[in-house]
Amino acid sequence: MSNKYFHSVILEEDRCIGCTSCLKVCPTEAIRLRDGKARIIGEKCIDCGECIRICPNHAKSAVADSLSITKKFAYTIAIPSMVLFGQFNSKVKIGEMLAAVKSLGFDEVYEPALGAEIISAVISNHILKKDAPRPLINSSCPAILRLIQIRFPDLLPNIIDIETPIEITARIAKQDATRKTGLDMQDIGVIFISPCTARVTSIRNPLGIKKSYVDGVVSMKSVFGEILRNLNNVEPENIIKSTSSSMMWPIIGGQSKAIGSENYLAVDGIGEVIKVLEEIEMGKLEGLEFFEGTACLGGCVGGPLTIENPFISRNRIRILAKELPMPEHTPEYIEEAIRMYNDGLVRLTEQIEPRSIMRLDKDISKSMKKMEMIKEILKYLPGLDCGVCGAPTCKAFAEDIVKGENPRSVCIVKTMENFRNKKKNS
Amino acid sequence: METMKYTFNVEKDDFVRAGEASSNIKKILRQLGIDPGLIRRLSIASYEAEINIVIHSHGGQMELELAPDFVRIVASDKGPGIENIELAMQEGYSTATEKIREMGFGAGMGLPNMKKCTDEFKVESVYGKGTTITMEISLKAGD
Repeated sequence: MSNKYFHSVILEEDRCIGCTSCLKVCPTEAIRLRDGKARIIGEKCIDCGECIRICPNHAKSAVADSLSITKKFAYTIAIPSMVLFGQFNSKVKIGEMLAAVKSLGFDEVYEPALGAEIISAVISNHILKKDAPRPLINSSCPAILRLIQIRFPDLLPNIIDIETPIEITARIAKQDATRKTGLDMQDIGVIFISPCTARVTSIRNPLGIKKSYVDGVVSMKSVFGEILRNLNNVEPENIIKSTSSSMMWPIIGGQSKAIGSENYLAVDGIGEVIKVLEEIEMGKLEGLEFFEGTACLGGCVGGPLTIENPFISRNRIRILAKELPMPEHTPEYIEEAIRMYNDGLVRLTEQIEPRSIMRLDKDISKSMKKMEMIKEILKYLPGLDCGVCGAPTCKAFAEDIVKGENPRSVCIVKTMENFRNKKKNS
Repeated sequence: METMKYTFNVEKDDFVRAGEASSNIKKILRQLGIDPGLIRRLSIASYEAEINIVIHSHGGQMELELAPDFVRIVASDKGPGIENIELAMQEGYSTATEKIREMGFGAGMGLPNMKKCTDEFKVESVYGKGTTITMEISLKAGD
């Protein structure tokens, strides 16, 4: 399933009516209408899921694994995203939700809090004290990482080289399971229950690590009903590892508080993230220590594969968090976490490379010629950005022509205008 | 090869649109495909120049000139001109009013910053007439 431009976001063709809604919201201009259907340009898509959210016909969706993937393994472990805890009414206890997840057919269930605590310990006790480019940028939102690769390559060195809570938890869970069962690593399946389309992609095509320890990703939406039904007939699991601090990770600002940054900026919603990253790139936010950005509104609770409204979900998680203990970071725990980081166990080992998909040509002289042509074409376009031609803006339309990506392009507005003029003159 | 030019108008006191010209310049540079580090330097320099026109001048324009081996930004305004260029080039020196400083502008780092960010930097000013700032970065082969 792995290829260079694998994406979890896909189009269900027969549902798409070619309405242009998704063209407009795509932050990387990765969608074009061709033959009346929305096409995703693979190299530009960052899997943020904005198009899934906006599509009035539900033609955009995400490919993920089905639960039957558990049959491929002798022993299976579920890691539900912490966002799950906000999906049910506030009377439901964390232990019950974990049990309901387990009864989907897993041998065990682990909370990503395990990884989140290690990350918080390493960042606040080690990385914040190191000499590194500021502001440090969180590495947990995969859509933001891909956005930075494409639009802010100069900020790549600011990304904290630490893995995500899920990845770290998956690793720990697998190691625990091999010890417990005596099975080989490959016979143990770790399945993530995801609120996020970009996470589906980043697990199959990881950024910053060679291979993910997660063996499958199931969309939270797709198992919501079954978990809900299971809630009625389960004995709560008594294994809760979540703390009042890790519980807040899926809510924007939660990570900044967990690491105890004195000067942080937490921004949600991909449009706002772009605006603030622009300011950071210009060096205008001097003294800023930590930047936490999530593509989704409200943080991961706003993920495109969730059921509950992000604000309601946030309220529930906050209530649940209040009943949880504070994290206990003993000096030994911190030392161990830092050692894991220094040994590369919880660290991003692969360089995240810039992707200059914006440039028109490798050769600057050729780029210049193309720009000249774009400038010329733009003079004849109406500048309405109506999207009827299939490109999100008149400028994108001109760029597509120059790049040779749209040989059959027609500007309807211009054609109508010419037609009217001809009529007038005759 | 001929060079290519883009011109952007910058209005006096228009803080809502301040930065728009620089943001357009940045987009063009990205399409050109030059090194991200150079884009950042040019963006900072052009932003500083643009903000200067908004804060200090009677309005003016930004001109971006592209060639295969260099990028030039010319920021020119319609006055009032800089009384003492030497003083203006000193870090921390500013003629900005208290109100402007409260908004976070006018730290007196504009001109020095532009100079720092570019390979060639020139200020020409006639007091009472206007100021022209010319900044250039050369593009090495392979950038």
